[in-house]
Amino acid sequence: MSSCGNPNVEGDSLMPKRPKYDRSKACVKCKLNTGNIVIRHAVYCKECFFPLISIRFRRTLESHVNPTPQLHRRKGLKASGNLLVGFSGGLGSSVLLDLIYKTYLTPNERQEGDQNPNGGCPWPNVFVASVDISGALNAAPTSSNINFQQVVESYSSNFKCISLKLEDAFDLIWWKEIGGYESQTRGFDIVNEEILLRALSDDSSSPAEYLRTYISSLPTSTAVANGIQNLIRMLLLYTAASKRCSHLLLGTSLTSLSISLISSISQGGGYSVKEEAYEEWSYRKNQETINQSVRVIRPLRDLGTKECAFWAWWCRLKIVRKHRYLGGRQDIAALTRDFIVGLEKDYPSTVSAIARTCSKLTTKEDSDAKCLMCGRPVQAGIQDWKHKISIRSYSDVNTDDELPQHVRRPPEAPQSQDIRAFDAITSRLCYACHTTWTSKGIRGGTTKGTDIPAPVWVNAHPTNGELWTRKRLGVEEMHAAIADSLLDP
Amino acid sequence: MSLDVLSLKIEFGGGLELLFSNQRSHNVTIPSKVRRDDSTSLLPLEDGIETKPADITYLIHHLRDHLLKERSELFIENKTVRPGILVLVNDTDWELEGEGDYALRNGDEIVFISTLHGG
Ligand SMILES: [Zn+2]
Ligand SMILES: [Zn+2]
Repeated sequence: MSSCGNPNVEGDSLMPKRPKYDRSKACVKCKLNTGNIVIRHAVYCKECFFPLISIRFRRTLESHVNPTPQLHRRKGLKASGNLLVGFSGGLGSSVLLDLIYKTYLTPNERQEGDQNPNGGCPWPNVFVASVDISGALNAAPTSSNINFQQVVESYSSNFKCISLKLEDAFDLIWWKEIGGYESQTRGFDIVNEEILLRALSDDSSSPAEYLRTYISSLPTSTAVANGIQNLIRMLLLYTAASKRCSHLLLGTSLTSLSISLISSISQGGGYSVKEEAYEEWSYRKNQETINQSVRVIRPLRDLGTKECAFWAWWCRLKIVRKHRYLGGRQDIAALTRDFIVGLEKDYPSTVSAIARTCSKLTTKEDSDAKCLMCGRPVQAGIQDWKHKISIRSYSDVNTDDELPQHVRRPPEAPQSQDIRAFDAITSRLCYACHTTWTSKGIRGGTTKGTDIPAPVWVNAHPTNGELWTRKRLGVEEMHAAIADSLLDP
Repeated sequence: MSLDVLSLKIEFGGGLELLFSNQRSHNVTIPSKVRRDDSTSLLPLEDGIETKPADITYLIHHLRDHLLKERSELFIENKTVRPGILVLVNDTDWELEGEGDYALRNGDEIVFISTLHGG
């Protein structure tokens, strides 16, 4: 039982405890065998479990594979580009890789009800990328990063490995290699709630040093966890773009999706709830005139971690990354995880209701502007709104005009090193990213960071205008795309 | 006449083995009759002590007291496994077998899998 209340007092009186399975121990599918697993109150035997999981995986993924759903019905599955799989070595992405391999790279094992009569893989190339985050921890690369290639290559020579490092986000050489626009090393200055971008006073550090400065400048442990997640996400998106990938697949399960939805909403990410579940990110390459896009899909988002764990156990998958969660973390994502995992143990259907409810949320108006930091939509007028709802002291307010006479500050003396040109980027950050950088730390002080290195993609933007822009799906396309996910299993 | 002890095969997966000397497979012998309060003292049962046939709840306490090497809070919580740890009894989800109340039999295979390492 997991709840915010006092467990000794309230106990199970909050919700009556339901039996873990509905009627009998017989499999609800074949009605012959004795069941081996209970999935949200329904009993399945081991034989029926495998096709059940692979059908759910394909139902979530395959309606998004072809550029338009109509093409799919006539010609089978054919993507407009390559595939990038984000691989952390954890449970979800290990199961994802296994499902991709068994579904698309071993055609003779394909099952009936096949939606792809021509067989074969819908993508010409399959890339598998992992991001080594040891740079953020100032640690030596862990063995899982070495095992990564072995695991991926043991499947199939058709998987092409890409090893990324978190510090690549600050590496102009990496940025150039993947075909990014001309960029320069710049950094943030955070002055109260204003974020400025200007040349770094020291631009000779290594990418790893920039990364560590970046991480250590984040005000709270929640902000650090988010900051790392965002860097990983953007590294994967730009890698997908550079490899001409039309799809980026992530191993987010129903459980982990619910965790990220709740923790994102609680941290001001409500405007991009839709993007947590499905997202189309568009970009334009140097020297090109048309926009390309990457669809970010989470094909396991109908599967709980329980189903993933049984799949991994019964298929004897090697899970190379084991350490991420050892408990005791106090950031919002970790606390949300504790809560959701506890909830799932006793009330498994509630967790799927979270993801389903969020998939029905839409924002009132569309936004074309995207956040420099995370690439997600920026809500129009967000700063005005934030000014209206925030409780602040006068010292937080920047312009003297807004202050009553008696608290006006004397004009500040010009500082000699501040003659560097800057761009004010506050209005070009989403609410969540802005809040991440300006949130109060545990000591209650406002962050007043200067010379915080900015990721290469943030630097590439202001001087080059809106060249990497984000396109939303048309209404019809969107409806077709999410129709399947709204059906009950 | 039932056996005095049960011989069980225990397996750990999903990273849980890290708490158990990084060894995935263990053979464990437990008494077939145990104290009702799940205390795992190896002293002989005296008259007047309430007993029960060994079940998985007892096994969880036994593993904590005799096999676990570190950080018991990552394995056990409120007299059962911590949320996020799955249990299989002879290849079947323990939710179909009465969870902690399942009465163990000689030769049973019990698997504990952690799901706490995400995507
Ligand atoms: Zn069956
Ligand atoms: Zn953002």
